[in-house]
Amino acid sequence: MPLPPSIYHLSSSHLRLDGRRWNELRRLTAQISTQASADGSSYLEMGNTKVLCTVTGPSEGKGGGRRGDEDSMSVDVRVNVAGFAGMDRKRVGRGDRRITELQNTISSAFSSTLFTHLYPHSTISLQIHILSLDGSLLAASLNAATLALIDAGVPMRDYLVACTAGLTPPSGRGDGDDMDPLLDLNGSEETEVPFLTVGTGGAGGGDVGGGGGWV
Amino acid sequence: MTSLKRSVADPYTSNILSKVFVRSTKIGKVQKVVRELYLRQDIPCSSRLCAACLAIAPGDANGVVAPFILSEKPAGTKSFPEGHYLVPDTNALLNGMDLFEQTSGFYDVIILQTVLDELRNRSLPLYNRVIGLTKSDDKHVYVFFNDFRLETYVVREPGETINDRNDRAVRRAVSWYREHLQNSLNTSKNPKQCPAILMLSDDKENLRKAKAENLNACSLSTYVSGLENADRLLDMINASRQIQESRSSAADKLYPDYLSLPKMMTGIRAGTLHQGIFNVSPYNYLEGSVHVPAFDKSLLILGRENSNRAVSGDAVVVEVLPKTQWKAPSTKIIEEETLNKNENAETEDGEGEAVVTEQERRALQEEVRKTQGKSIEGRPQPTARVVGVIKRNWRQYVGHIDSSSSSAGSQGRKQQTVFLIPMDKRIPKIRLRTRQADELLGKRVLVTIDSWDQDSRYPMGHFVRSLGDLETKGAETEALLLEYDVQYRPFPKGVLDCLPHEGHDWKVPASLTDSGWKGRKDLRDLLVCSIDPVGCQDIDDALHARPLPNGNFEIGVHIADVSHFVKPNNAMDAEASIRGTTVYLVDKRIDMLPMLLGTDLCSLKPYVERYAFSVLWEITKDAEIINSSFTKSVIRSREAFSYEQAQLRIDDKSQKDDLTQGMRTLLMLSKKLRRKRMDAGALNLASPEVRVQTESETSDPVDVKTKELLDTNSLVEEFMLLANISVAGKIYESFPQTALLRRHAPPPKSNFEELANQLKTKRGHSLRTESSKALADSLDTCVDPTEPFFNTLIRIMATRCMMSAEYFCSGTQSYPEFRHYGLASEIYTHFTSPIRRYADLVAHRQLAAAIEYEQLDVSLHSKPKLEEVCKNINVRHRNAQMAGRASVEYYVGQALKGRIIEEEGSVMKVFSNGFVVFVPRFGIEGLIRLGDLATPEPEGTFDAEEYVLRVSGSVKLEVELFQKVTVRISDVKEESTGKRKIKLELIKP
Ligand SMILES: [Zn+2]
Repeated sequence: MPLPPSIYHLSSSHLRLDGRRWNELRRLTAQISTQASADGSSYLEMGNTKVLCTVTGPSEGKGGGRRGDEDSMSVDVRVNVAGFAGMDRKRVGRGDRRITELQNTISSAFSSTLFTHLYPHSTISLQIHILSLDGSLLAASLNAATLALIDAGVPMRDYLVACTAGLTPPSGRGDGDDMDPLLDLNGSEETEVPFLTVGTGGAGGGDVGGGGGWV
Repeated sequence: MTSLKRSVADPYTSNILSKVFVRSTKIGKVQKVVRELYLRQDIPCSSRLCAACLAIAPGDANGVVAPFILSEKPAGTKSFPEGHYLVPDTNALLNGMDLFEQTSGFYDVIILQTVLDELRNRSLPLYNRVIGLTKSDDKHVYVFFNDFRLETYVVREPGETINDRNDRAVRRAVSWYREHLQNSLNTSKNPKQCPAILMLSDDKENLRKAKAENLNACSLSTYVSGLENADRLLDMINASRQIQESRSSAADKLYPDYLSLPKMMTGIRAGTLHQGIFNVSPYNYLEGSVHVPAFDKSLLILGRENSNRAVSGDAVVVEVLPKTQWKAPSTKIIEEETLNKNENAETEDGEGEAVVTEQERRALQEEVRKTQGKSIEGRPQPTARVVGVIKRNWRQYVGHIDSSSSSAGSQGRKQQTVFLIPMDKRIPKIRLRTRQADELLGKRVLVTIDSWDQDSRYPMGHFVRSLGDLETKGAETEALLLEYDVQYRPFPKGVLDCLPHEGHDWKVPASLTDSGWKGRKDLRDLLVCSIDPVGCQDIDDALHARPLPNGNFEIGVHIADVSHFVKPNNAMDAEASIRGTTVYLVDKRIDMLPMLLGTDLCSLKPYVERYAFSVLWEITKDAEIINSSFTKSVIRSREAFSYEQAQLRIDDKSQKDDLTQGMRTLLMLSKKLRRKRMDAGALNLASPEVRVQTESETSDPVDVKTKELLDTNSLVEEFMLLANISVAGKIYESFPQTALLRRHAPPPKSNFEELANQLKTKRGHSLRTESSKALADSLDTCVDPTEPFFNTLIRIMATRCMMSAEYFCSGTQSYPEFRHYGLASEIYTHFTSPIRRYADLVAHRQLAAAIEYEQLDVSLHSKPKLEEVCKNINVRHRNAQMAGRASVEYYVGQALKGRIIEEEGSVMKVFSNGFVVFVPRFGIEGLIRLGDLATPEPEGTFDAEEYVLRVSGSVKLEVELFQKVTVRISDVKEESTGKRKIKLELIKP
């Protein structure tokens, strides 16, 4: 059987599990300068995904043992998922493959957005704390990081903004014409639908990375 | 300093809710789920009367607004002449789903999201049926998302139960609909009549509250009473509730209580309880068994009390009984129909009834006496009792009304209780309340089980529909299809829309630059032919062979390229995945794919060009494979042979053309391949297949013949096996986690214990079962020069000890578990019959992706999806086989009708009060009871050690296992049921 009858096609109304339509984002709220002690900080909610981000630096030296280009600043990203963030209370270790991948994606995204050549021999570190996890983790992290970097006053080419996009399973009625695109997937949708995180800067834009696939 | 605060002016705060609930996972962990809920005001009411909603209804991503569903002038009843929209609550659907599906009423129905969610938790099959209804164009069933609409969302109040909250949500939606429609019609320019909104509920409290709130509401039975043919419709309402009300609570409990779910879970985890599927013995309805992982042998469940209302197929939890109560499996035939023949179905209230009837008690006691009399320190098996049911596997059952249970000639349409005797002997009689008992006598009837209460010996059910007179071809065939859950309805329009629009005129494009040729090899010059049974229309496979300059051969197996026509995830694919396989009955074929594809566009018919998926090998004279390759191709078959024609052509020395030479090469190589396979330990378990010859016009059976096996049969088989094995290796290499493969587990040793013991005591043969090779070899030695059939009989019996082969997704097993025991192959899949098996179609897609012909659909990358596919096709495959067998059985019965034939047979099982004879010529197995030998019933003593039944008294004789006997075969009509049965009588022991 291809898929259990999914709620998307129960009715002509194409509603999602949480009552949204295909093109609606969850409620998004954000604040900057939430942590006075940090060089830059932000707090961002996309629905029930809640992310806190602090920026330290840029500071001299190569921190975190990461090797980088001597002529430019390296971007060090640490993602920490709180034990109470998900449905199961469990610790997500630092060595978790998905977390490492997430860190690398964020790091490479900002390496190309920030004016890293202005700070040779130095490192900027981003600490991202996931307080609550309900899908679109990469997108929320990128958005929070952008805000924190703005707060820290780090020069950048453009704001990096991200959102997830998915495609609903076909209902089996036609040849896929009835597959709806979906924006801003929540946790339960991510387990059901193939998706992609798209990040864009105002001027250029482009695909930051695919955190996609069938989880 | 700043502090974290929610932004103050959030305009949507009132529309966003957090739903928090706790759920426990399968492994017993508790999760707290927090889910957001966005309430909105743009969910349409979907009434064609409503202009307001039409204006705001949003479209999907393509801007398409779905058409409104509820009609302008819905049907009404006497009480609602203006017409009505029906709003059932969960109970109404649980009790009366069959009503909503029938066509004489129940149009324009609003299904609330609340109800749908509740229904999904209560019964998944019912939920799926409702979904099916929403998809039908003529029923006008609309799902209203009341829990997403601001005005109809209801917050659970403190102290309110979830049920009460849901009932309130239903009433809120009903009242909203009424006001909304009235407002909408009042503002429109040409006011029309506003249909009533009628809530259907079987919950008294809910009805009372609805009345208090001035809503239109009534119970299902009240509503149905106001319709035409109310009698028939009333029978379709779930019986359990009505009965419960009529019966006093003081009624004695016949069966023990079930344990609570948490208790069972704790017990299972602690190892004191066990979970498994309850199966009932086909010979003895009082004996069930449950296989649980903790025990090697199945646990026996003896008697009604221990099986505690479990029905064959249910997932149950059992408790093992103390060792003193362990028993050997029954040696006695006990059939419910003959034992409790004249029971009265009506004795429900009043004095109550015993769980075990007097006759049953006697039968069981005799059993105990006899087994204890024997010195069977012999093999007692652990016994157990059912303490709870995890999941019922109740479906719809086909059967006939026990005429003795109906008070015949009762005038008028009084409701009475009757027994339905299911076709499936493992299912208990079902108690049925009906007003149409007289009409239903002598009919095939479809019913469902509603409940099985502690104070009722039999389950309670209700009538669904009548299939027609017993023994008419139409009714029996439909009964069979329903019993085996074969999807036999015509293909819906959505599926037919997926067919190529050229229809039968579709052709392989002439131009090689056409996109259809992309990635395809032109193999039209090869001398390809197909070999199939006579009259085969859906030709899946074709072959060719030609010599290579280096002395080796090029062999090709060409399979219909079905995946070119059936794209993943469209309606046709969905339908095929549900059907899973084509089902072959004697006079009928129920296709997996529409005819146009199966018998024409995909079918590798001779003389025309067809798309194919080819497997090509270079093979030496000694049948060593040098290399193999896979390609999509275009072929032109030169000839479609039947097995007989091919055999004649090969044997005809005067034929020297290349096509015949190719076939000879194939035959030569196939024999070598077969030898190799046998040497590796492949089993030859072929049992005689019976073919029913029918008159072509009327398809009335004329004669029964055993199928002949020719060399050309195994020619085709060998190369198909080879292709399947080659493809299995290839797709596993490319998709180690998600290849769809087929495995055949080695049978547990204990499965053969009985047979090995029987062979040892009766014939002195020892059966070795440590490997398939050993088994194959020792089966070869089981011959009796005086009885040519003996070896076949043993093979049939050995086959029944085997596990069944199954489809699986490669990521779910470790490599050694992939092994196909029967074929002695490390890895195996199904590739060669994509027209008639869904598994093959999946393998085609995976192979096409493996050779980079096309991209693999995402659904075939996902292990859980594939597991689901496998689960379904495994069930469908088994059902199709059983349906086919049952169909042959039915036609053999018809062919024997009115005839009396004497035939030889062999005793294949001995009981303490009868024995089973297998008649190879007709492939039938029949029971001969002691009572059939003479009247009065002779005495029988059963020697379980020696497998001998000594009969004394009115006749004297001895019957032993494997004995050759002559029997007289006739068919008799049973007086009580009007059912025809094949009867065997012993003539010569
Ligand atoms: Zn409306």
